[in-house]
Amino acid sequence: MSSYLPVLVLFVLAVAFGLLSLLVSITLSPKARSQAKEAPYECGIVPGREAPERFPVKFFLVAMIFIVFDIEIIFFFPWAVVFRELGGYGLAVIGIFAALVFESFVYLIGNGALEWGPRQRQRRAEIVSPDRTLTSTIRRVGAEGRPAALEPAALAPAAHHAPGHGDHGHGDHGAAA
Amino acid sequence: MTSALLLAADPLYAQGVDLTALLITILKVVVAFAFLLVATMLMVWFERKLVSDMQNRIGPNRAGPWGILQTLADGTKLFFKEHINPIRAERRVYVLAPFLSFVPAFLLFCIVPVSGNWANGGDGTVELFGRTTYLQLADPPVGILFALAMSSIAVYGVMLAGWSSGSKYPLLGSVRASAQMVSYEAAMGLSVMAVVLVTGTVSTHGMVASQAGDGLFHVLPNWAVFTTLLVPFVIFVIAGTAELNRPPFDLVEAEQELVAGFNTEYSSIRFALFFLAEFMNTVTMSGIFVTLFLGGPSGPAPIGPAWLWGCIWFFLKTSAFLFMFVWFRATLPRFRYDQLMDLGWKLLIPLSLGWLLMLAAVQLSGQQNWNPVAVGAGVILMFLIGWSLLRSANAKARAVHLGEEVNA
Repeated sequence: MSSYLPVLVLFVLAVAFGLLSLLVSITLSPKARSQAKEAPYECGIVPGREAPERFPVKFFLVAMIFIVFDIEIIFFFPWAVVFRELGGYGLAVIGIFAALVFESFVYLIGNGALEWGPRQRQRRAEIVSPDRTLTSTIRRVGAEGRPAALEPAALAPAAHHAPGHGDHGHGDHGAAA
Repeated sequence: MTSALLLAADPLYAQGVDLTALLITILKVVVAFAFLLVATMLMVWFERKLVSDMQNRIGPNRAGPWGILQTLADGTKLFFKEHINPIRAERRVYVLAPFLSFVPAFLLFCIVPVSGNWANGGDGTVELFGRTTYLQLADPPVGILFALAMSSIAVYGVMLAGWSSGSKYPLLGSVRASAQMVSYEAAMGLSVMAVVLVTGTVSTHGMVASQAGDGLFHVLPNWAVFTTLLVPFVIFVIAGTAELNRPPFDLVEAEQELVAGFNTEYSSIRFALFFLAEFMNTVTMSGIFVTLFLGGPSGPAPIGPAWLWGCIWFFLKTSAFLFMFVWFRATLPRFRYDQLMDLGWKLLIPLSLGWLLMLAAVQLSGQQNWNPVAVGAGVILMFLIGWSLLRSANAKARAVHLGEEVNA
């Protein structure tokens, strides 16, 4: 274990350096607390929400796949050091092991576990339904085709008008998608 | 094999640790510590100056000659800046994170052989106060695995810094950073293994020892970049750049999207520690490139002491990589995140795995007198099968992706 002695000494020195500079800086720096300063950075906007607690599951997936590969690498290292002594037998065994891991890797890729690309890139012409029409493709902006409820002037009679318009709009949307 | 194992221990501690050995250790550590800090300082200046030259600007030119003290001035300024503790921060982790980032950056340097007597068949040892020792801080039995371990710990620093800040940009930056570092670590480990394969040892000292001296036809040096047939070197350089979060892989601090990435909420000296760690890692990673693939400090020593020539060769080789990093930054645009992930997982990892098996087969065929045609055919078959499997898997993934789009 004595070959780790320099690591230990350097560790102590590095931590001491960090703590010392932290201490010096805390002593020397001004202290002027204010609520705006301590708020989360939001480009000048007053932060309204908590920081997101959740992020895309893809990141977790990458971490899990990484563990598989890390373990594979750990098994490879001892073999790489002594592969000359193990000879053809060692190569065959590690080849089978590598093939098994690679096969599961291919399975992962095939199931899209590592697909990060933007969806638009895969959009092809045949996604668009051939029987589309002008009315099904163009989304109208403005009062026309919207539920009447949105118009403030027609608030009262909107109750029995809205469903029909709503269904119509929905149908258009379905055809376009 | 036994010779490699014997090499993997600093003769300084051969008879246990006494006072002289301890003092020599402390001296070496202090010198390395000071060297690292100065090298980091100069690296920051070098990068700024070089990038400004490449962009037809002047760059820092006020503090000291050619602005060489600019980093020192910036660092001193940061000491006098206010410490801001964001209200939503997880206080203890927030304070701990910079340490988790910069302490491994220091420790990473331990295993890099800086110099030594390598010329004319030397074994890399020098005499220091009547003791024989290596000119590298530590040569632990785990060798290069220590470097991989330290760079893994650095991921914690980045991840916890972003998570504990309680703000959305640091969180997104750190999640990106961890996924990226973790992805390229696998490719990195596999390309390191190619070097382990040809040198037959995990000790960094042993690696340099086996790369010293003449190689092919007594023209090329016996560097691992040649003996591993170039590809692992290229993979390692790409993965190393990604591991450092340097351009073109600096999605972690993509200003347009993430303000400053994981360290957005850090100020004053805590920010300086992250900054220090980043550039220190750049310097050390260049040293590791040199150690693994370019024979470390080994090289000819025409006149004068051999250890001085070791220093010169190490400095020259490392500087070449530092220049390369700056050149990358000045030249290449940033990757998109899906391109980054595709490059790491779908190209570098399978390629380095296949290359490793190929190298092993080639080395063994020379040793065991296998039929070279059969070995060649087997290798080509392996690459073909692997490539076609990956291709069809990719096509299927695309189709699934497409299906989701249609059903959405």
